[in-house]
Amino acid sequence: MDELMDILTDIDPDVDYEVEDQLIDGKIFDSFSIITLISNISETFDIEIGPKDLIPENFNSAEAMWDMIQRIREEDE
Amino acid sequence: MDILSVSFLLFLIGLLAVYYLVPKRWQWIVLLVASLGFYAMGGVLSLLWPCLTAVTIWAAARAIGRDAAAQKDWLKAHKADCTKEEKDRYKAKAKARRRRILVLALVFNFGILCAFKYVHFLLAQLNTAAGWFGCAIEDRVSWVVPLGISFYTFQATGYLLDVYWGRVEAERSVWRVLLFTSFFPQITQGPISTYADLGRELFAEHTFSYHEAVWGAERLIWGFFKKMVVANTLSGMVGRVFADFSGYTGPAALLGALCYSAQIYADFSGYMDIMCGLCQMLGIRLTENFERPYFSKSVAEYWRRWHISLGAWFKNYLYYPIAVSRWNQKLGKTAKKRLGKAFGNYLPATLALVLVWLTTGLWHGASWAYIAWGGVNGLFIIFSMWMEGPYDRLKQALHIREQSRAWRLFQVVRTFLLVTLIKVLPEVGTLADGFGLIGRIFTGGLSRDPYRLIPFVQKLSELWTVLFGVGLMLLVSLVQRKEPFRDYLARRVPYGVRIMIFAALFFLILYLGVPASGGGGFLYAQF
Repeated sequence: MDELMDILTDIDPDVDYEVEDQLIDGKIFDSFSIITLISNISETFDIEIGPKDLIPENFNSAEAMWDMIQRIREEDE
Repeated sequence: MDILSVSFLLFLIGLLAVYYLVPKRWQWIVLLVASLGFYAMGGVLSLLWPCLTAVTIWAAARAIGRDAAAQKDWLKAHKADCTKEEKDRYKAKAKARRRRILVLALVFNFGILCAFKYVHFLLAQLNTAAGWFGCAIEDRVSWVVPLGISFYTFQATGYLLDVYWGRVEAERSVWRVLLFTSFFPQITQGPISTYADLGRELFAEHTFSYHEAVWGAERLIWGFFKKMVVANTLSGMVGRVFADFSGYTGPAALLGALCYSAQIYADFSGYMDIMCGLCQMLGIRLTENFERPYFSKSVAEYWRRWHISLGAWFKNYLYYPIAVSRWNQKLGKTAKKRLGKAFGNYLPATLALVLVWLTTGLWHGASWAYIAWGGVNGLFIIFSMWMEGPYDRLKQALHIREQSRAWRLFQVVRTFLLVTLIKVLPEVGTLADGFGLIGRIFTGGLSRDPYRLIPFVQKLSELWTVLFGVGLMLLVSLVQRKEPFRDYLARRVPYGVRIMIFAALFFLILYLGVPASGGGGFLYAQF
């Protein structure tokens, strides 16, 4: 989770990721931020995020992203 | 059927009566019959094309859905007795099978779209190439492009991709997919909805609500006012500008271009208001397509607020899949190592944006002018993305306060002028004509004669109509910054006065709008 928080802070340090749950729906992240995020998550956690995972619910909060990472890891195993 | 006609109003009244009289579980069937009837008015044979799209997309989605369910069952049944390698092999085979079905259906449907929409453009290019070898290719194709083909093809293929990615379940009923593809308020000009959004609305049971009916009718009247009074009056002026700008002064050419911006907004958003109002009367919420786009502070923001559903389609089904694709991510990773973190981050998004904007240009029209238009839009968006850092530093050095009213106003005016110049590029005629009009703005010089400022206005009544209409639209937009306009009216204006306002608009449509609408179709219907 700490690695994910580092990635998120790198994208926008002004957001409180512990509580924010509207990163996409609240338009805090734009499409470029999302691409950067996906690229960094894929690299750090060695997973492949595909188009099927690109739904707002998976990216609205740090917790949702963490759940998605765990789910993709489980699917890969 | 012409939406700006008495027959359409009669069609609507008949539909509303039947829709609310039949048992609620049949309401979607009434909509299906109405949609097919609406489309068939352009020729019964023309129905073939949306039906073909609906059936092939339905069949492909069903096959993909069944295959995905079978995979799930197989994995569940062999959870304990198969190795990871065996499971991976099975999943890879199933995925390849599903991908084949997807590709086949996409190629078939986009093939139909391309055949109808781009055949003349392709033949013209082939003819140019053949000319280099002293040959000529004659264009004898005279196919009639099916109404709304760009819109319903995108909507249907979006549904198929959603099923493929597991975002929605495959629909069992072909009739429901046919309604989703051919729903008459959307089929000619969008919005391009997802199955998750529109399906939920279409297949729910709706009870008549007086409030929804009145608010729907109000929005319908507002849409007719925008189209029939504002857009149609501007249409004549813009036609004169595009035909005769070469003798204009700079400010006159600029005013002509601004008139086009106002016309296309009144035209397209007017259509959306008509259809959203109509759907509200049916108890159906349509996806909104506009969010006061001319108040945007950048070109990228403008495209998030203009024709929202098309932008969302390109973002979800082209931009993201390209940007996160394995090859693009690999390229970004390599670039990050060799050329730095920022370059590596920007590269995948940039490549995706180039493809998205060239395709957006082609979607709007089969000509080099539209491809250039898409390219210029993309260029501005990509440039501002790459220059964000230096731009922020420049603003800091100049002590610009981001939140100050003056700075925000400057950003809005700058973006509006910029999108206006980009907008006219493919609309004047050829690409050279488009650049010619833009060039005239900067080289046309000035004049003290006030009539040379608006040479495209033939009657003073036209000018007053446009000033009144555009002023009213601006006023509504300013109120909408804080709350929906009708909430504002309902809160501040007594019910009787509100009815009077819309009655006045209705009479203005009859008095000013109808004469202007002679032959004035909707601009976006051509796409």
